[in-house]
Amino acid sequence: MLLVLSAEHRAHLGCLPRAGGAAVGELGRLALEQLRRGAAPRACESAARKLNISVDIIQHGVEGLVYLLTESSKLMISEVDFQDSINVLGFSDELNKSLLQLYLDNRKEIRSILGELAPRLPSYHSLEWRLDVQLASRSLRQQIKPAVTMKLHLNQNEDQTAQVLQTDPATLLHLIQQLEQALGEMKMNHCRRIVRNMK
Amino acid sequence: MELSPYAQGGWRLLGDPRRFPRRPFAALLRAAFRSLLDDPQAGLDDPDLKDIDPTVLKHCHAAAAMCILEAGKQKADISAISTCLEDCKLDKERIEQFCTEYQKNKDALEILLGSIGRSPLHITDVSWRLEYQIKNNQLHKTYHPSYLVTLNVESSDSGSHPDVSFSCTMEQLQDLVGKLKDAAKSLERATQM
Repeated sequence: MLLVLSAEHRAHLGCLPRAGGAAVGELGRLALEQLRRGAAPRACESAARKLNISVDIIQHGVEGLVYLLTESSKLMISEVDFQDSINVLGFSDELNKSLLQLYLDNRKEIRSILGELAPRLPSYHSLEWRLDVQLASRSLRQQIKPAVTMKLHLNQNEDQTAQVLQTDPATLLHLIQQLEQALGEMKMNHCRRIVRNMK
Repeated sequence: MELSPYAQGGWRLLGDPRRFPRRPFAALLRAAFRSLLDDPQAGLDDPDLKDIDPTVLKHCHAAAAMCILEAGKQKADISAISTCLEDCKLDKERIEQFCTEYQKNKDALEILLGSIGRSPLHITDVSWRLEYQIKNNQLHKTYHPSYLVTLNVESSDSGSHPDVSFSCTMEQLQDLVGKLKDAAKSLERATQM
């Protein structure tokens, strides 16, 4: 699968050869920082002073690289496809090589950053449990009522929430049995066939 | 087992054969157990009770209910109940009648009294769904299995409560099941002690 770069993106990336070899390394670093922490105009300004290039060129270069890296990481395009995609830009072999290296070195991290943007449900974080036996209450003395008290920690919109739940021994065994079936389902032929064919 | 002076007064009235002949006594006992265990709205409309003064009836009904609840709360045995009612001048036959009725309803009474009070949300069941994530608008070729687990919960005050739902990866579900199994094993060991 090849990347389709619009005229605007090509124009943004077009400033790379003009900036020179050393500057491309710096722009790559800035692009990754922008992906990790968001836009940083100050860093662009200081890079512009250091490299003696105008701030506009630096910013366009960074934006172009960010787009190039996120699109190719999102689609997980292969090494060959990446090379073919940037060929249309008419850069030198050396520049192409350093862009490819930039892509390959950081693809994993960029994919994990993009993964965080996906819509997500509250997700499991951990579970703590405790065994209790209720012995008496205001309305009934001399009881023996076993219970498993659990604290379920969930991740929800980047916050952690915890919920205290309780269950009886019979239900606990039922929960285990049901969830083991859920785990077992993934090893069934049906699921394995889907997984094999989707890759 | 001890009753309050008010309840003792009620039982003294109940033990008086002139105020409470046999049939109305039996009817009042039935009504007291019924209003506690089956139907809180149940009234004292038994035809056998129609000749009794309503104020007396109310007093006696309260006394019977207090005695039933106190006996259930303390898990009192027959001899403790008998001693208590003998103090209120009840004859042997009436005491026996009360004890028979009490024995019949003891288990239901224990369940009722045990269910009173606060406790954390109680898990009653679980449902799950397995899905294979393929891509989203931010990321293609994600390819990993994901479970959606819903715990059905019930609250002790019988008010409805939303179920607890969360997603988890296979590793997280294994972690969860492992911990639940640890709990079950500890529970088993604890019962053998």
